[in-house]
Amino acid sequence: MANVLWLQGGACSGNTMSFLNAEEPSACDLVTDFGMNILWHPSLGMELGDNLQQMLRDCVSGKIKLDIFVFEGTVVNAPNGTGEWNRFAGRPMKEWVRELADAADFVVAIGDCATWGGIPATAPNPTDSQGLQFLKRDHGGYLGKDFRAKSGLPVINIPGCPAHPDWVTQILVAVATGRAGDLSLDEFQRPKTFFQSFTQTGCTRNMHFAYKVSATEFGQRKGCLFYDLGCRGPMTHSPCNRILWNRVSSKTRAGMPCLGCTEPEFPFFDLAPGTVFKTQTMMGIPKDLPEGVNKKGYIKLTGAAKAAAPAWAEQDIFVV
Amino acid sequence: MSQSDEILRKRIADLLANGLETQTEPFPETEKEFARILDQLRELPPDDLEGKLVISGFVDHPYGEDQQRCLECMYYLVHRKWCDLPELAVPVEAEWWCRLWRI
Repeated sequence: MANVLWLQGGACSGNTMSFLNAEEPSACDLVTDFGMNILWHPSLGMELGDNLQQMLRDCVSGKIKLDIFVFEGTVVNAPNGTGEWNRFAGRPMKEWVRELADAADFVVAIGDCATWGGIPATAPNPTDSQGLQFLKRDHGGYLGKDFRAKSGLPVINIPGCPAHPDWVTQILVAVATGRAGDLSLDEFQRPKTFFQSFTQTGCTRNMHFAYKVSATEFGQRKGCLFYDLGCRGPMTHSPCNRILWNRVSSKTRAGMPCLGCTEPEFPFFDLAPGTVFKTQTMMGIPKDLPEGVNKKGYIKLTGAAKAAAPAWAEQDIFVV
Repeated sequence: MSQSDEILRKRIADLLANGLETQTEPFPETEKEFARILDQLRELPPDDLEGKLVISGFVDHPYGEDQQRCLECMYYLVHRKWCDLPELAVPVEAEWWCRLWRI
């Protein structure tokens, strides 16, 4: 039996909504099949008021063993570092977060807000928000870069806006069943099993990417979304086209550019006008090229790909 | 390739060959300048072909130090010989160029 406590800081509840839609395994499976005991969750918790405060205090003291502390949303520090703008169970949420993180065997940050600040931490960051162990790309965050949970692991980051439900439940199962040691984390403490490949991996538009045929409008079935519509699939680490959303689709499959929401910089360019859904260029060449590709190589590849493009690449091949 | 595309492509080629002066400079350095040119194109009446060519800076040969041309542009459809940028949407030749060139 693994005790799981889930709290929510500066957040929209998107990751909770996502979690409750999990299928492999589902949120119910966590309890019935994998022995998890959900001590409390913002949408599922039964305790209120004094009872909840007592339960949290018992987790901090060790009276209740806290195996996994899950945090969704940012740590809100405003105003003036007090955290008073986000009070929970009688005190600033950030104080609970610190004490519970220190008491837990494992700490799991769910979604961009908890991992690196996400949209709330976008300039000018009025809530003075931080992620648990990162603020955007900067290692540190609220808990500090040297933080380690009792297990010895740093915060396990599962980013996304929201995170895919199955990324959440599968990592929780791995941790709860004693397989946390098998998890390999990348430089941003994301499990590599999900975040080593790219969003582009498995994208149905890869043929159009290869032959440099661009989609020019949303929802078009032909064409790649990278060249004109700002798709970040080739630079973003996620399995969105391997572990499909709602089991059937993904943004790019539906004709919607990837926003790069599993990367620390999300939302990119601080949402400045004209930067969303538009590939940013410098002298006609994308500023952000597919990871590992240099400008010279990209130009050469474009010429060769265009010259070799077959006629079908210019047409809608997904005929109804 | 349709006959109407061929006719229109010939008309554009004639306009350029006969010295239609187009705005090849300044090249839109970033997305912002690019968007401003698109805005100008959107303000044109739909049948103003010359206006499109002038604003977008069409020329009937490769252009610039790197000899850029439609062939490498991401809006160019090789087999249809067509510029697929919605604001232009005209038949072109692979060796032409305009300042909305992007790869």
